[in-house]
Amino acid sequence: MSLAAIINLNHPASYAHWHFFEMSVPNLIVIALMIIVFALAIVLPFPGSRRRRGQS
Amino acid sequence: MSGGRNWTVRLREAGVKAMPPERLLPDGQPAYMSSWIYTFGVLTIAALVVIIASGTILGLKGPAWWHYTGVGHFFNSIHLWSVELFFFFMVIHLWGKFFMASWRGGRAKTWISGAISFLIAIAAAFTGYVSQQNFDSQWIATQAKDGLNSTGIGAFFNVLNFGQMYTYHVLLLPVVVVALVSAHILLVRRSGIVPPLPLPELGLGASVAEQPGASAAESAA
Repeated sequence: MSLAAIINLNHPASYAHWHFFEMSVPNLIVIALMIIVFALAIVLPFPGSRRRRGQS
Repeated sequence: MSGGRNWTVRLREAGVKAMPPERLLPDGQPAYMSSWIYTFGVLTIAALVVIIASGTILGLKGPAWWHYTGVGHFFNSIHLWSVELFFFFMVIHLWGKFFMASWRGGRAKTWISGAISFLIAIAAAFTGYVSQQNFDSQWIATQAKDGLNSTGIGAFFNVLNFGQMYTYHVLLLPVVVVALVSAHILLVRRSGIVPPLPLPELGLGASVAEQPGASAAESAA
């Protein structure tokens, strides 16, 4: 059975380059994921928070 | 003999006064903590526990173990990805605390201890990258040498010295990170979780001081 990764990461990273800005695509993906998770953490309701708010 | 003159008694009393047990291990949290953004501090600590545990196993077997055994590679991967998650969660924790101005209410020390923990953790991660014992670590070390030497800080340590960097990585920096994170947690417990910024136009934030876990500063306000 092959244990190869679903995405082949065994090669040098690609780079995004725009004027002075240069960053590897993996780093860009991680930063984008952090922004998405940060936004979701603020927007998504926390379990039980509505019930607690209703009690007060 | 008077117990009050004993240094252990004085230390205990000072400890209990600085960190009352009911604040250290509370049985309730403020209602404003019912948000996912408040979970990223404890997620960071959970990742740190996995880092320490997997790093301990790697340390027991030596820095080259992960190169020639599947089990070693597995624990090295656990170590790497827990570090990735540690920084992922810590940065979101930092953003959340920055945008709610968490240094309010006498929490400057809490904020500073968190900021210094972040900087020392970067150094701990860096020394891990140069301890991999592969071409990647050699490349990182030589590039970092030039960068650090250009600032002058390279006079104090040599990133090409594997033994030195490995000692920094497995002992010195982890001790500092764990000590700072411990102090950070104790300060959070002492001051209470920072309440959200008041929104008077919505009628929110006024009753925050009444919540269990809110600091004495908020309660007095």
